[in-house]
Amino acid sequence: MSDETGYVVSIERTFDASAEDVFDAWTSPEVMRRWLHCGRDWETPAAEVDLRIGGKVRVVMRRPDGTEAGMGGEYTLIDRPHRLVMTWTFDDDPSNEQLIELSFTEAEGSTTVRMINSRIPTDERRDGQDEGWSGCVDELERALAG
Amino acid sequence: MANDTFRALAHPLRRDIVERLSGGTATVGEVTRGFGVSKPTVSRHLKLLEDAGVVSRVIDGRTHRLALRPQALAEASGWIESQRERCERLFDVVGEYLEERKERR
Repeated sequence: MSDETGYVVSIERTFDASAEDVFDAWTSPEVMRRWLHCGRDWETPAAEVDLRIGGKVRVVMRRPDGTEAGMGGEYTLIDRPHRLVMTWTFDDDPSNEQLIELSFTEAEGSTTVRMINSRIPTDERRDGQDEGWSGCVDELERALAG
Repeated sequence: MANDTFRALAHPLRRDIVERLSGGTATVGEVTRGFGVSKPTVSRHLKLLEDAGVVSRVIDGRTHRLALRPQALAEASGWIESQRERCERLFDVVGEYLEERKERR
């Protein structure tokens, strides 16, 4: 359907660090690894960042039951430390390519990051992937409660 | 299913219909007034909303009244919420990482 452009999630947060440091954190494999490492029994068998135009970012989460969910994208714009744009695709749904745009604005030593995640698909192919993420959120909540 | 709801809400005209119904039930005429589209077009959009379970229709004699089904919309917002949680988590991790680096200096 031509009128279907997907959903958008937009988030803004300010960090007490320079734009360079925040930008570098955002492109760090360590951050990617921790992002999907939801608990002690979870693993991230892959967390790779190839920071150049056309370079790939890839993360794989392995759940405690051994099942894996892989995701990643390709950098399409790198303007350190101001802007970063990448595509984002989930392995179980390769035909739906999302877009993640980040902007970094430094003022008085703090840096505000604005993320716009667009082209979030609106159909049933995402249900399985949603379940995987719910498991992660449950795990984090357990950790916080414990 | 949430996916049907998203498909149903993918068109601006259908979103307008849902918005108008959020204030309460209305007749087909009331809900599509001023859209400037043909009757078959309106019918097609309404059918899509009904099939998706977003809108229900009660026929009272010659009057068709439409109502929203809030639970369908709640399912859809849950899906977007999970997308947002994933992104928020990434922001959290970036924040923790930056704090750790600062402490190490």
